[in-house]
Amino acid sequence: MSLIRLLSMITRTGTMTEPVADAPIETRDGFVPPACLRGSVQVRHVDAGSCNGCEIELGAAFGPVYDAERFGARLVASPRHADVVTVTGVVTQNMVEPLLNTIDATPNPRVIVSIGDCTRGCGVFAGSYAVAGSVDDFVEVDVHVPGCPPAPEAIIAALRAVTRR
Amino acid sequence: MNLVDAGLYGLLGSATVAIVMAIVLTGRVRNVIAGLAVLATGVAAALTGLATLLGYSGTGLAIPVALPLVGDLDALVLAPDRLGGFFMLLAGLVIAASALFGIGYAHGPAASRTGWTGFAAFALGVVLVPAAADAITFLLAWELMALGSTVLLLAEHATRQAVRAATIWYAVMTHLSFLLLLAGFGVLINAAGGTSWARMVGIAEPTASLAFALLVAGFATKAGLVPVHVWLPRAHPEAPSHASAAMSAAMVKMGIYGILLVTLRLLPNGPSWWAVVLVALGAISALYGILQASVQSDLKRLLAYSTTENVGLITTAIGVGLLLHQSGQHAAADVALIAALLLALSHAAFKTVLFLGAGAVLHATGERDLDQLGGLASRMPITALTFGVGALGAAALPVTSGFVAEWVLLQALIHADAKTDRLLAVVMPLTMGVVALTIGLGLLTFVKAAGIGFLARPRSQAASEASEVGFSMRLALLGSAGLTIGLGLIPGPLSQLLAGAVGASGIATTGLTGLELGGLGVVVLNPLALTALTLVLLAGVLVVNGIASRRHPRREVELPWGCGGERTSPRMEYNATSYSEPLARVFGGSLHTRRSVEVEHPDDAPLLVSGIEFNQETVDLVEHRVYLPAARLAERFGDFARKLQNGSIHRYVGFSFAALLLVLVLVTR
Repeated sequence: MSLIRLLSMITRTGTMTEPVADAPIETRDGFVPPACLRGSVQVRHVDAGSCNGCEIELGAAFGPVYDAERFGARLVASPRHADVVTVTGVVTQNMVEPLLNTIDATPNPRVIVSIGDCTRGCGVFAGSYAVAGSVDDFVEVDVHVPGCPPAPEAIIAALRAVTRR
Repeated sequence: MNLVDAGLYGLLGSATVAIVMAIVLTGRVRNVIAGLAVLATGVAAALTGLATLLGYSGTGLAIPVALPLVGDLDALVLAPDRLGGFFMLLAGLVIAASALFGIGYAHGPAASRTGWTGFAAFALGVVLVPAAADAITFLLAWELMALGSTVLLLAEHATRQAVRAATIWYAVMTHLSFLLLLAGFGVLINAAGGTSWARMVGIAEPTASLAFALLVAGFATKAGLVPVHVWLPRAHPEAPSHASAAMSAAMVKMGIYGILLVTLRLLPNGPSWWAVVLVALGAISALYGILQASVQSDLKRLLAYSTTENVGLITTAIGVGLLLHQSGQHAAADVALIAALLLALSHAAFKTVLFLGAGAVLHATGERDLDQLGGLASRMPITALTFGVGALGAAALPVTSGFVAEWVLLQALIHADAKTDRLLAVVMPLTMGVVALTIGLGLLTFVKAAGIGFLARPRSQAASEASEVGFSMRLALLGSAGLTIGLGLIPGPLSQLLAGAVGASGIATTGLTGLELGGLGVVVLNPLALTALTLVLLAGVLVVNGIASRRHPRREVELPWGCGGERTSPRMEYNATSYSEPLARVFGGSLHTRRSVEVEHPDDAPLLVSGIEFNQETVDLVEHRVYLPAARLAERFGDFARKLQNGSIHRYVGFSFAALLLVLVLVTR
C-alpha cells in the first residue's frame, strides 16, 4: 500500500472511536485516586477465574473502537510496571495465592479495579467446590464495574475515575 | 651513606627483625609484630625504589660473603638501577599491603612460625631480586623468593589435599625456571667473563640469542606466560590469600623485570625475531588467560588466570616496544615501553586489591566459589567497594590505573607507522585486535567476578552470615584500592619518572596531573580533569533526579515478582556458570568445556522426572595436551628404570662387572 493511498484511507475513514459515555461504576467509600497516578496509569490484568466474557470486553475497551489509551490507561505485562490491577471472575482455589502475590508485587500506591458481577458474590459460580470466594472477600476493591459482562464504556469509565481524564 | 644505601640497610634490617620475631614470638603477638616488620620491609623497599627512580644512586651494598666456586668473579652487590628501582617500588608496595592484610588474615598454619618466616623470607627475596647488580646475587634472591613462596604455599597442606598437588606443580615449575635462568646466566657469564650486569655488555650472536632464549623461557615460567602458566591457576587458589596477592602482584612481575633486564639492559638491540617472540608469547597468553578466566567460577582461580592475561599484555607491550625501536620509530616504541611499566604497576595495584578482597571473602565465608557467594555488598561494604575498584581496574575502565595503562598501550599501537615495514604491517593490526578482544573479555570477566560475588542475594548459608573483616584487612584493602584510583587519576608525574627507567623521551606531565605523550603529536590524557567534568555534568543529572524524586517519592513494593508465586529462592539467580555460558559456547573450541546433564526418573514412572543434575568443568587445554602426556612419559621412563633396579645384589654386581668390562674395552682400544 502506497503512502498516499494509506493517507487517503486515513482521511476518508476519519475517527471511528466511540464518544465518551457515562456508565455506572461503584467506588469504595472514601476512595480518592492517588495524585501520582493522575493522567496516566499502567494496568496489569488478572483473570482470577473468569468465564472470559469480561476479558472480551476488556480487550474491546483497549481496541481501536473504544481506545482506552486515549485516557491514559495502558495494559502492561508485569505488576512491577503497573499502577492498577484489574481483576475479573470469581477467585478459584488455585488463583488465591497468585492473585494476592500479584497485588503485593504492584508498587504502592495502587488501585484495584474489579470487573464484572462475579467479583462480587460470585454470580452463577457461587457455591462451586472450585471457588474460594469472590474478589472482595480477599482484597479491598477500590473501583467496581458492575455488569455481566460490563460494557467497554463502563470499563473505560472505571479507568477514567483513576486517571481523571 | 645516601638514601638508596640507607633504604637497602633498612629493608635488610627489618626483614631480619621479621624473621627473628616470627621465630621468637607466639600467638597473636607474632602476627602483629612479624606482620609490621614485613610491612616495614615493604615500605623500605618502596622508598628505596622511589629514591632510585628520582635519580639518587647508591654506591651499592657489597655483600662480604665468600662463596665457594665463585673464585675471582665479581663481588655480590646490591645496587638497583632505575628499572630495578621501579620494580622495588612496585614489589615493596604490594608486600606492604599484603603484610598489613596478613596481620588480620593469617590464622592456623599461615600464622605459624613457619608461615611468617616463609613470608618474611619471600618478601625479602622479592624486593632483593630487582636490587641485585650481578647474576649471582640475582639468582640467590630469586631462589630465596622461590623457596619462601613454596613454604607459604604449603601452609595448609595438612588439612587440604589439593595444596600438596598445587605445591608439587609450583615447585617443579619454579625450579624449571631457576634451571633455565642458571643456564642462561651461565652462558652470559661465560661470554662476558664476569657476573656483574655492568660487565655483560656487547655480547655477540649467536651466544646472545642462546642466552635470550634460555633467559626468556625462565622468566616466562615465573611470569606465568602460556604455555608455562600451569602453576598459576593451581598455586594461587591454594596459597593463603595475603601470599597469593604478593605472589600474583609482585612475584610474577619479577619475571617481567627479568625480560626487561635482558632485552633493555644486558642484550639491547637484539634481532627482530626476539621482539616477535615476545609479542607472540604475550598475545597468546593474554587471550588464553582471559578466556580461561572468563569461564572460571572459583574466584581465586579466575584471578590467577587474569594474572596470565595481564602478564601477557605487559609482554606484548615490551615486544611491541622492541619491534618499534628496531624499525626506528623511537617515539612510539618509548610509549609502548612506558605502557609495559604502567601495566605492570597497575596490575600490581588492582591485583593486590582483588586477591586481598578474595581473601577477605574467604575469611568471612570460607567460600571462594562464586556460585556460593552473593549478597556480600551489604554485609561487607568496604570489601565490596574495594573489590569493585579492583574489578574496574582489571576491566580497564576509567578512574583506575588499568584504564590509563591500556590507553597508553593502545596509543602506541595506533600511532605506530605499520606501513613502512612488512613485519610491522602484520604484527601491529593483529596485536591491536588481540588487545581489544582481551579488554572486552576482561570486562565480562570482572563484571561477573564483582557482580555475582557481591550483588544479588546470598547463594549459601555462609554468604548470608558473612560479616565485615577486621581493621588491618580493611586498611590494606583501602590502601591498595586508593593506589589503583590514584594512579588512574594522576598518571602524569609517575609516568614521567618511569620514562627515566627505560630511557624513554617525550613523556611529560601536563596540567599537574595529566599525561602527555609528546612524541606522538598532541596526545593528552587528563583523567582528573575528565573526572571533574563528568562529576559536574553528573551533578546536573543528580539535581534533576533529586527534584523529581521529591515530587514523586519512591513507590514501595511489598513482594518481589515471582510470576504469581513466591519463587524467589537464591537458586533462581544468575550465577557465575550461567553468566559465562554464552562465552563457553562461543569459544567452546578453545576452552574445551565438558558438560553433562543427567535426568533421573522415579522407578515406577519412567516418564516423570525426579531430579536433573548438570555438571560443567573447564579443562586447561595446555595442561591436558602438553603436561599430562609429558608426565605420563616420565612415569613410563621411571617404570623402566625401576626394572633395572630391582634390589637384587646379583644384578648390581652384574652391572658393575659389565661397566668394568666396557671401560676396559674402551681403554684398551
